[in-house]
Amino acid sequence: MNKDMKILVVDDFSTMRRIIKNLLRDLGMTNVQEADDGQTALPILKQGGIDFLVTDWNMPGMTGIELLKEVRSDPKLAPMPVLMVTAEAKKEQIIAAAQAGVNGYVVKPFTAAVLKEKIDKIFERLG
Amino acid sequence: MISGTGKGMGHFEMDLQLKAQELVSVLNEGKLSDAMEIIQELHEFRHQTFFSEVGHLTRGLHEAIKSFSTELGSSLEIDDGSPVQEDADAADRLNYVIEITEKNAHDTMDRVDKALSLVDKLDSQSERFKDLLSLVGQLEKEHDSLNGVYDRTCAVKEESEQTIGILREELTDIVVSQSYQDITGQLIRRVINLVTNVETHLVGLMEMAAQVERLSGVEILSGTDDQQTNKKNPIQAEGPQINKESADVVSNQDEVDDLLSSLGF
Repeated sequence: MNKDMKILVVDDFSTMRRIIKNLLRDLGMTNVQEADDGQTALPILKQGGIDFLVTDWNMPGMTGIELLKEVRSDPKLAPMPVLMVTAEAKKEQIIAAAQAGVNGYVVKPFTAAVLKEKIDKIFERLG
Repeated sequence: MISGTGKGMGHFEMDLQLKAQELVSVLNEGKLSDAMEIIQELHEFRHQTFFSEVGHLTRGLHEAIKSFSTELGSSLEIDDGSPVQEDADAADRLNYVIEITEKNAHDTMDRVDKALSLVDKLDSQSERFKDLLSLVGQLEKEHDSLNGVYDRTCAVKEESEQTIGILREELTDIVVSQSYQDITGQLIRRVINLVTNVETHLVGLMEMAAQVERLSGVEILSGTDDQQTNKKNPIQAEGPQINKESADVVSNQDEVDDLLSSLGF
């Protein structure tokens, strides 16, 4: 896993963005950008340079699942690994996220160990 | 809040029985047109009772929501410089809860960040300690009285390094536990949506009830407005420390505690 990779953290709650940022820092990843919903995240992604997307689901404007679908439908962004960190815990939702092509799904509230494990797993699979 | 319902229906039943007996007696007397009149009266009476009941329920619900806002208000108004206006509705108050919990979560994380930088400092001190310790190790060979000091000090150093590691984990857990703000915030947003919806529909219901009142002459939305007196009593149903005028003497922590406890947190 490249520790210098650029990560975009998308969540409408600044508290959660900061928590994820802190945990990524503990993992040695300090190149982190933030957005507060899908609508603000998408232009940042389209500008290029982001290597990894961590997004919430339930956000005003554009939700995380919509953002994920946008990413997967854009040929340039499609290969990007996406981790969903969300309080949405219905089986149908998790299935829908998986079908939309999510790489990992962490349900809030989570522990530092869980987040680390999911991120490690994503980059292990990608090789 | 929603009172008078049973009484109204009971009254209806009683009147219904009287009218029914009247109906039977006029029928027995063969007064058919009188009977038809009574049936018509019963019909209208049923409608009036129904609208009156809907009116009572509507009014009760409306007052319950107003009272909810007022109660929340009196617990929020103790916050000096509160952005919440006195006439703010329930949704505004709940949004304020989200803001306050967000601010506090960030305050906590600011402190944890400071604590983590102190832990980093301890870590670097531990490195310097290691250098000093190796000096003791060299001296130990020359002085018999220092025998075993190096090993024992090494053990203490290792123990303290482990403690630093655990401290770091604990501090990280404090950061992660701030996610309660996100979780509760999302739930509060749902309640805000619900309250907003209920209030909107309630306004529609009030309008409809008023129209019915106007058309049928049924008095359904009358009565004294208890809320007027409530609004003039901002310290109602709160502890003695809550005083709007001397809000500056209340400590910040207490304000937050009161706010959260008044919401059942």
